Amino acid sequence: MKNRLASLFILLLALGSLASCEDVIDLDIKSGDPQLVVDGWITNQAIEHSIRLTESAPYFDNSPAKPILNASVVVTDDKGGIFNFKDAKNNGVYIWKPSTSTDTLGHIGRTYTLNVKFGNEEYTAVSKLNRVPKIDSLTYFFDKLPVAPSDGKPQQGYKPEFFARDPVGAGDCYWIKSFKNGKYFNKASQISTAYDAGFSPGGNSDGLIFVLPIRQSIVPFDEFLVEKDTIKVELHSLTLEGYYFINQIRIESTNGGLFATPPSNIFSNIKNSNPNGRKALGFFGAAGVSSFQTVVDPKQARPNIY
Amino acid sequence: MKHLLFLFAFFSTTLLAYSQEKKTISGYIKDATNGESLIGVSVYVREIGNGTVANDYGYYALSLPSGNYTLIFNYLGYEKVEKKIDLKNDLKLNIELKDESLKLQEVVVKTTKEDENVKSIEMSVNKVEMKTIRQMPALLGEVDIIRSIQLLPGVTSVGEGASGFNVRGGNIDQNLVLLDEAPVFNSSHLFGFFSVFNPDAIKDVKLVKGGIPAQYGGRISSILDVRLKEGNAKTREINGGIGTIFSRLSYEQPFAKGKGSFIVAGRRSYIDVLAKPFLSGDLKNSRFYFYDLTAKANYRINDKNTIYASGYFGRDVFGADFGFDWGNQTATARWNHLFNDKLFLNATTFYSNYDYGLESDRNNTNTSGDKFKWNSNIQTWSIKPDFTYYLTPNNTITFGGQYINYTSRPGTALALSNGEERTITLDTRYADESALYVGNEQKVNNWLSFQYGIRYSYFRNLGPGTSFEFLEVEKGERKIPISENKYETGVINTYGNWEPRFSAKIEVSPAASIKVSYNRTAQYLHLLSNTAASSPLDVWTLSSKIIKPQIADQVALGWFQNLQDNMYEASLEIYYKDLQNQIDYVRNSDLLLNRYLEGDLLFGNGRAYGTEFYIKKNRGKLTGWLSYTLARTERKIEGINRNDWFPARFDKTHNLSVVGLYQLNDRWSFSTNFAFNTGTPATFPTNRFEWGEWALPHNVNDSRNAARIPSYHRLDLGATLKSKKKLFGKGQGEWVFSVYNVYNRRNPFSTYLRQNENNNLQTEAVRYSIIGSVIPAVTYNFKF
Repeated sequence: MKNRLASLFILLLALGSLASCEDVIDLDIKSGDPQLVVDGWITNQAIEHSIRLTESAPYFDNSPAKPILNASVVVTDDKGGIFNFKDAKNNGVYIWKPSTSTDTLGHIGRTYTLNVKFGNEEYTAVSKLNRVPKIDSLTYFFDKLPVAPSDGKPQQGYKPEFFARDPVGAGDCYWIKSFKNGKYFNKASQISTAYDAGFSPGGNSDGLIFVLPIRQSIVPFDEFLVEKDTIKVELHSLTLEGYYFINQIRIESTNGGLFATPPSNIFSNIKNSNPNGRKALGFFGAAGVSSFQTVVDPKQARPNIY
Repeated sequence: MKHLLFLFAFFSTTLLAYSQEKKTISGYIKDATNGESLIGVSVYVREIGNGTVANDYGYYALSLPSGNYTLIFNYLGYEKVEKKIDLKNDLKLNIELKDESLKLQEVVVKTTKEDENVKSIEMSVNKVEMKTIRQMPALLGEVDIIRSIQLLPGVTSVGEGASGFNVRGGNIDQNLVLLDEAPVFNSSHLFGFFSVFNPDAIKDVKLVKGGIPAQYGGRISSILDVRLKEGNAKTREINGGIGTIFSRLSYEQPFAKGKGSFIVAGRRSYIDVLAKPFLSGDLKNSRFYFYDLTAKANYRINDKNTIYASGYFGRDVFGADFGFDWGNQTATARWNHLFNDKLFLNATTFYSNYDYGLESDRNNTNTSGDKFKWNSNIQTWSIKPDFTYYLTPNNTITFGGQYINYTSRPGTALALSNGEERTITLDTRYADESALYVGNEQKVNNWLSFQYGIRYSYFRNLGPGTSFEFLEVEKGERKIPISENKYETGVINTYGNWEPRFSAKIEVSPAASIKVSYNRTAQYLHLLSNTAASSPLDVWTLSSKIIKPQIADQVALGWFQNLQDNMYEASLEIYYKDLQNQIDYVRNSDLLLNRYLEGDLLFGNGRAYGTEFYIKKNRGKLTGWLSYTLARTERKIEGINRNDWFPARFDKTHNLSVVGLYQLNDRWSFSTNFAFNTGTPATFPTNRFEWGEWALPHNVNDSRNAARIPSYHRLDLGATLKSKKKLFGKGQGEWVFSVYNVYNRRNPFSTYLRQNENNNLQTEAVRYSIIGSVIPAVTYNFKF
């Protein structure tokens, strides 16, 4: 199905390219005052955790974001745990290291509060670490696009598909991340999220196996795997706020064309304890993570039933 | 309601008082060539220096004291007819007018009374003759009504390729698009590239932007009244054409010895047919086409009764194994009845439906595997009696009513995931809308006329249904559902609105007049769309407890002037429109398959004001018009743009159009369009911030539409060559050449910001153009 969807897409594109076009242009826009940006994500994995503090910059300033130094960064949980984050390298990346190899910061079901003190301002953010189902399998099948992509990409290869079941109880949200040979598919347009086993709250998909477009969303429709490629899928549980935040990253990063929505500022869950103080940007979230990894072996490929 | 009955009673008594000792002359006015009734022919009585205008069905009536009169029937583009009559008894006089162009070989821009621009009470009304629309250069050579009217004053759109049009600051859903009196919900094929109206079947197009008479209601910004041809009543006629996108064929024929006639017209795109040999594998099953079928028949039972039936069926189909299709269907039946020579009834009943469907794996009929299927539709039917009472030459009273029944199925979906089935069914919504109206067009004397009326509209949400209550946590953010009330039957919610209408005309000289108008309009059906251009998936949503009716109040003032013996007509109008209960959306809004949709809506007000200048040359080898609009359209929505006014997405400060048609000789004619618009508003970020892997946009002022994209301008050229040789001995053929966007300007549809394709941390601005090249086209048309 996905394949055929792709062919339709190519057909429409061919028609569209008859006329429509995009050009990168110079644009003169006014900039505003910089704001604190919080980028923090804690999980139930036994790994080092980091929270990055930077400043926003004029829109076309393509130099690396200016780090915020000398801030106090502390995460607490609702069971009395306190986790101090330190900027060891003096680069705005505040780190918490586990004391043992099995020590995890996050635990499913707990609620975490981030507290950042910087200058005279104090910011907090709260996120719950929600349950995440395990990934049952990650399979792949041989597939071929009906027409060769014009940009020289391969026309055929292996398409992966993961299987997992959303637990019963409506309202589970997910961010599906995938990696090919260790490299994260990091384009904003490739962001894949789920609400229960479907795309959105109206989907009535609670308790199902993830629907097919999500199962196959782990590689872009015009990309394939070849023999010996490693593919890894991570399922991150999100809060509803997190789901909207991640979706908005995709929307506001790819918001062009005939059916663009009016650009709007991306939601942030970072709150200044002084309501009249300067607002911060970004998001602090907690996620339960499950993952599955496999190496493509043509002998193990399953038949293409789609 | 009581007031309305009173009004009726009042009018009936005045009617009786007036209708004494006068004789009536009445009849139908038709085109001598094909028997099509002519709309808006002027009937002038020399002896009294006054007259009337034939209605939408070509009927006219005049009540005069007994005596001798000279009647002059005048219609631009047709030979004038004078009749001397001796009025002793009521008299029937049917008239046939001959097309002047058959004699003069001149291009006719407009077929209305020559000085109607000045004499008529109508203001803020534009008529474009099909003949003109047909000659204007068109995108890909496809004659298009909607694109043509976008060259009129006060009409804009969000950009090329967008469906619909915006009139004097109104959203696209605020236009009542009528095809033979049935509303058309989506006027576009292929998103917004082509309109659904087949030019071969259309007789007359009229756009009413202001001074809206009482008989119209239901949409607040404009009425686009499209009338179908009745079919040649004299002889068989076949028209057709082969274009770049569509092939067209229409057939007209009289029946019952000329008492009736019909027309059937069809069009189909044929890109898929041409592409078929080049497709292989999965693409072999590709379906990619759009078509429409338009038909109409009329039958004159006797002098007092005529019946009409018309229908439209159109569909866009895309997909291979995956399918996406949408379309409108309308059906109209009408009965014209003369109770007596003075009282004319047009009773209409119509049905209109718009639906779309999405389906993955059309070939998978199993209940295993994976599948997704989704349908949505809106259905309406209506009965609408409209009476015209020709009381005296100075008073024409219109009264009537309308009942509309709505059934909206916002979405039904079936999802199959790995063999497990789920259905998503949004409640079907039921509602009805009733209206009663009465109006009078009164000529006080030679220089002063009034048109006044009142309409009362009444809307009911009917059971079964559910109404929700929401909690607003923060302004501008999604509202949370807190309770719901289920209704099995009965009335859930009602709204009623009085809609007064008023126009006046003061002639200051035989060639100049001042006109002024006010109207209030109410609308109970809304197209929810949060995208730059509306998409076929957008759902028409009924008013509810949460979604209040949209209301507009408009005042307009204009100067109307004809020059050089009506060779030129010019107008200058200013308008101000106030809009209530305008709809906007929260960020991340979810408008499809969302049971709590109303929680994602924001409400506010709108205002639009501007001035429109229009000059048109009606006669000579060179004809055409120039239109210029200076306007502003704004919205004020709680939760957007810091609760302050912001320009609407289709706001264009300057809007200039020039249309020129030139008849070189019997065989060659040329045409040109030029359009210049201020760029549409855009929202740009001020800052960027890094989060995760991405550089993301942020606007510190939280402003909407504070910037603008570069201006839009475009020149098109067209030429028509009539073949010398007769087709099969008697037919005619013509070649139509057109070049769209002659000087190859990449007009932006939008400018947006994004991350560089190869580096997520590098930001860049992109100009997006729908049409980025010169588009030439050739069409061959035939007629026999």
